[in-house]
Amino acid sequence: MFEKSLTDLIQGLRANKRNEAEYIQKSLEEIQSEVQQSDMHCKSTAIDKLNYLHMLGYDTNWANFNAVEVMASPRFGEKRKGYLAAAQSFHQETDVLMLATNLIRKDLASSNAMEVSVALDGLAQVATPELATDLFDDVAAVLGHSRPFIRKKALVCLYRLVLKHPEGLHALAPQLRERLDDPDPSVVSSAVSVICELARTNPHNYLPLAPRLYQLMNSSTNNWMLIKIVKLFASLTPIEPRLAKKLHGPLSQLICSTSAMSLLYECIHTAVVGDIIGVPLPVTDNVGREVDFAELCARKLVFFYESADHNLRYVGLVTLGELQARRPELVVNQYETVLKCLDDPDLSIRMRALSVISGMATRRTLDRTVKRLMSQLILSNTIRLQPVASLPSVGSIEYGGKYNGSAADSDLMAMATDATGASLVSARGSIVQSRQLTGAGPGPADSPEYRLLVVEAIVDMCTRQSYGNLSNFEWYVAVLVDLVYTAGVDVGQLLSEKILDVTVRVRQVREFSVRLMRQMLSDRQLVGRATSGSSTAKVLCTAAYILGEYCSLLSANSEDIALLLPECFEKLDGEQQATFVQAAIKVYTNWLRDVAGYWSTEVWELVRAVTSSIISQLSDLLSARTGEGNALGGIVAVAELPLQVTSRLRHFVEITKAVSVATSNPSDSAPQLCLELHELFTAYELNPVSAAAQGKVPIPDGLDLDSPIGGPIPDTEHIMFPPPPPVSPESRPRGSQSGGGRKQRRSHKNEPFYLDGGNDAGHARSLADLPDVDDIPVVQLDLGGHGSEDAAKTRKKKKRSTKHGATKRERRNRVRTPSPPPAPVDIAGDEDMPDVSAPRPQPQSTPPAQH
Amino acid sequence: MIKSVLIFNQLGKPRLIKFYEQIGTTLQQEILREIHALVAKRPDTQCNFLEGCRSMGTDSRIIYRHYATLYFVFVVDSSESELGILDLIQVFVEALDRMFENVCELDLIFHFDEIHYILMEVVEAGM
Repeated sequence: MFEKSLTDLIQGLRANKRNEAEYIQKSLEEIQSEVQQSDMHCKSTAIDKLNYLHMLGYDTNWANFNAVEVMASPRFGEKRKGYLAAAQSFHQETDVLMLATNLIRKDLASSNAMEVSVALDGLAQVATPELATDLFDDVAAVLGHSRPFIRKKALVCLYRLVLKHPEGLHALAPQLRERLDDPDPSVVSSAVSVICELARTNPHNYLPLAPRLYQLMNSSTNNWMLIKIVKLFASLTPIEPRLAKKLHGPLSQLICSTSAMSLLYECIHTAVVGDIIGVPLPVTDNVGREVDFAELCARKLVFFYESADHNLRYVGLVTLGELQARRPELVVNQYETVLKCLDDPDLSIRMRALSVISGMATRRTLDRTVKRLMSQLILSNTIRLQPVASLPSVGSIEYGGKYNGSAADSDLMAMATDATGASLVSARGSIVQSRQLTGAGPGPADSPEYRLLVVEAIVDMCTRQSYGNLSNFEWYVAVLVDLVYTAGVDVGQLLSEKILDVTVRVRQVREFSVRLMRQMLSDRQLVGRATSGSSTAKVLCTAAYILGEYCSLLSANSEDIALLLPECFEKLDGEQQATFVQAAIKVYTNWLRDVAGYWSTEVWELVRAVTSSIISQLSDLLSARTGEGNALGGIVAVAELPLQVTSRLRHFVEITKAVSVATSNPSDSAPQLCLELHELFTAYELNPVSAAAQGKVPIPDGLDLDSPIGGPIPDTEHIMFPPPPPVSPESRPRGSQSGGGRKQRRSHKNEPFYLDGGNDAGHARSLADLPDVDDIPVVQLDLGGHGSEDAAKTRKKKKRSTKHGATKRERRNRVRTPSPPPAPVDIAGDEDMPDVSAPRPQPQSTPPAQH
Repeated sequence: MIKSVLIFNQLGKPRLIKFYEQIGTTLQQEILREIHALVAKRPDTQCNFLEGCRSMGTDSRIIYRHYATLYFVFVVDSSESELGILDLIQVFVEALDRMFENVCELDLIFHFDEIHYILMEVVEAGM
């Protein structure tokens, strides 16, 4: 049968570029028939073609069995194809793998080294736990093969098997140790790789190998292996500090002598990460001077990130970041260089530089860094910024002040200082336009991940150590508001939290903050953009809250109230609406109080006018949403306002009604109501409360939190309540009855399906009967159950020392006699259940100091 | 550990894909597309390392080299040295070169199984 070879298939594919899918379908069918043939050659060609198609994305699992068949072929070439197919498309659940076990075993034992190698390769990739268990020993036997490349493959294969079959690790470890001494360097190298991998998860096991590895490090010239060993030591040093001292010498030598960049980098990286630089011994560098090791590393590192090669720069920044986390003082003087890296067009480099810079923030550097980052956000090419009428203009004045000091930063700053006093945004707007005109493609500043990182970095830098780095809080608030405008990513939640945080905590900045918030709310464009889930809405919500809370800091203004019931009200979600309404109430009452200070007829009219307009607005809001009638006549199905919003709206309505009643007649002096309404909101100052505060509230004495309130739930107590005696409650002394019943119940206790023969009804009765049971004498048991409330109390007051050395139980028993027996029903057995068997007559009043 | 080796051309057509973890076929193709999208838009002046590949796990980095029309991509985790992997890619390409004498994309297309075997010698199961 004419079959296509792989080459033919590929050529056919290239020829049929337009109808690839059909061609492949046809080929798949051909292959399907080919694999069914008994001719091995035919089959293997088919598998080969399938491999190719798999690469293009076609599922080839249907041919798994055939792949195994091909694997069994005696011809090496065909066998190879089968193994390749297995490696590519088998996965853990492929059942045909079980068939392959013996096959692989045969191959592993084969005399042909190539077969062994291909089997090892295949096995390493398809290993499943069952295969691993079965074949582990076979592979271990191969470790002693004469050819080194087989040995090295066997090692790696064993590692993969061990991943699936962890018990093999015990057998593997000594083998690894042996192989470290293997004469062939490739085997040694492979052993080192395996150890490196294993040590990442469990370094302790490989610590004993450290001396041998140390030797290898000193003697070997194989760079790849040296890199691995050095990396390995990086993971070992944290757990074995003495290792650091020993490594100090050779590492420093390597650093000074090696010409391979990669090795040098790894050594420095290890030195930093493994804290070898912490070792205070000096080293001699190339020119024979003695320098501190850490400084040596830092100096070499400079060479990395100042190099022109981007790769080196990137890795240099990575290690710089690590170094900075550990020894910030070494990095501080690199500020300028890293700042330059921040402008690199390469996104990866930028992100690394960003993390280093944010770690380096101090008071002096903070505003330069933030400004640079903000300018990056602003100067993005593709994110359209709304041309805003004016930036927080106060902010620009603030900015202006700072900009004047550092005009050399970038052209943005230059423009801002040139346009003296002009708001930043007009400068910004024109820059945005000019950029868009040049039609530059999206730069790294446009990537949303980057922008998010920048915003987070700015916020993090400023809030570190509870604002330790900030000297000018107003500037910080202005920066936050700017971020709201320029961020372009969804950071509303973060920003609103931060604004709230700084406003509440820092008293001095509140006035400035409130002013800015008012400005934000009056920015119609910003408000227009706010929809329910958007980040702008969250920020506006916080702005409303702040405006409401601290409105007394500003001169009151009746327009503010209008601000807080904006047109976009319907688009916000329930909680945000509630905040807005609440804030509106606060502002209104504050305005009233303010206005009441200079009462006159005009003022009275003003008050009435404002009040009535608010009333109408509110009733609109209420009625429009509660679906009561509709001017258009149809009932529009709109969502009801959530309860919190309607309740607040109604509060507001009531307040305004009260005010309009109070002002129904013109009067000479302001009604008392106006003056006092605001007191509703200013009684206590709200301070930030720590999250753990609730836990620290001491539990008042006598309050017992552990014992349940009221009676227990019937079905769980069903076993524990002895049913009332069937004949009469007072006939027999409780003890014997309860004793016998108790035993019976104990045996039945653990059987959930045991129905105690009408006990449930009886039980319900028993609960009702309990008050009658009072007359039954209480029997003191030595083992005793618990006292009712005593048990709970004793458990609570564990710390109280027993005065007379008596055990708790005896104390309880002793104590119980004098107190009236509230619950004579004794609980059998189960000590853990708190027993409250009756509605307690005097639960909490018994003083705790009974014992 | 090396998680995967991918070779694809500028249009994203795969020339060799090898995953050292068990990943389903469709997912493999998605990863290929994602990596292609990430790598293809980087100019040659930028560094050859990328982090933050979502589909291959959080620990992974992409290290690639661009030769003529082909991208050789290695996806590794943090136990591998980045510069070392760059050297490894170079070694691999040189090996291919020696086998095919001035290897070009066409060679890779038609002899893809041989490429696999060479790769198997260089990188076995991720080491």
